[in-house]
Amino acid sequence: MSTTGLLLLLGVVGVLTYLYRYAMIGLFASRSLPGWLHALCRHIAPASFAALTASALFVTAGEVTFAFDTPRPWAALVAVLVAWCTRNVLATIAAGMAALYLFKFLASLLLAG
Amino acid sequence: MRLPSRLGEFLAGCRDESPLLLGVAPFGMIYGIAALAAGVPAWIAQLASAVVFAGAAQLVIVQMLAAGAGFVPIALTSGLLNLRHMLYSASMAEYVRHLPRRWRLLLAYVLTDEAYAVAVLRYQRRDAPPADAPDYRHWYFLGAGFTLWVGWQLSTAVGLVFGATIPPEWELDFAVPLTFIALLTLLLRERAGQAAAVVAGAGALLFAALPYKLGLVAAILLGLVAGAWTVHRLERAR
Repeated sequence: MSTTGLLLLLGVVGVLTYLYRYAMIGLFASRSLPGWLHALCRHIAPASFAALTASALFVTAGEVTFAFDTPRPWAALVAVLVAWCTRNVLATIAAGMAALYLFKFLASLLLAG
Repeated sequence: MRLPSRLGEFLAGCRDESPLLLGVAPFGMIYGIAALAAGVPAWIAQLASAVVFAGAAQLVIVQMLAAGAGFVPIALTSGLLNLRHMLYSASMAEYVRHLPRRWRLLLAYVLTDEAYAVAVLRYQRRDAPPADAPDYRHWYFLGAGFTLWVGWQLSTAVGLVFGATIPPEWELDFAVPLTFIALLTLLLRERAGQAAAVVAGAGALLFAALPYKLGLVAAILLGLVAGAWTVHRLERAR
């Protein structure tokens, strides 16, 4: 994306985010949040993170590729297991990166041998 | 007991927010590193931390840029993700409603996940000032938000400096999806959230071919429908 495009994107997301934050303490301070919006907000984060993770792992250039001969999906699997057991964000990231390096190293050994 | 002064409240807010920086700083650094890897100029990446000031949304933007997504899908996804700030805003309304507008305009800027978490606890504590004494708790809120703001800007800068020197073979951009995995696991406590995540994840693959990564927006919306439908079904089953 061009520099102008990035700045414009930043402006749009920045203003939108600020308006959300100001909305109920400023713009609509006398009103309460509608129930449906409350319910909707609960599911936005899990839906967004799941879609982005699936896309980051299994989509390359608009095509679905299950590349199980590359280290990333396996490192992600390790991260999922660590996340499940520890429920610790930093441990999950550290374990995922460590697994990525380990699998890359093992793959280089296999190719060399 | 002596009542806390403006400065006292401000410093108490700074103090109580500080431990959260330990958790926030790695995100800021990952964001800075991933932004450079996605081809975002350093000054724009730093500016984004000041203008948007929302970690998850900034990571999402960078991840989508790296995947070659277009303007509209990125704006829609991050715009949707940040909707939750309206919940914080609604929750804070009763505590800051009486403040002059300039205060509310300022506090809205620092109303992030981590500042909200600390400030709302201050307001819910039992030692509220008596009705006839001055209430300086908004200074506490400002102190918490200010501390988070400084921490976020600094950790972004560290990530940008660090990211410029480490070789791409380290694949530190992979830390972004790993972050999403970690946060996702924490969020999946209830059935409706699980349904939303599974459907959105499957949708991302199903709509992968849509241009500009619009498939991600479609997948998230489908996930929201699945979440709402699950809530509806669980309520009817009761």
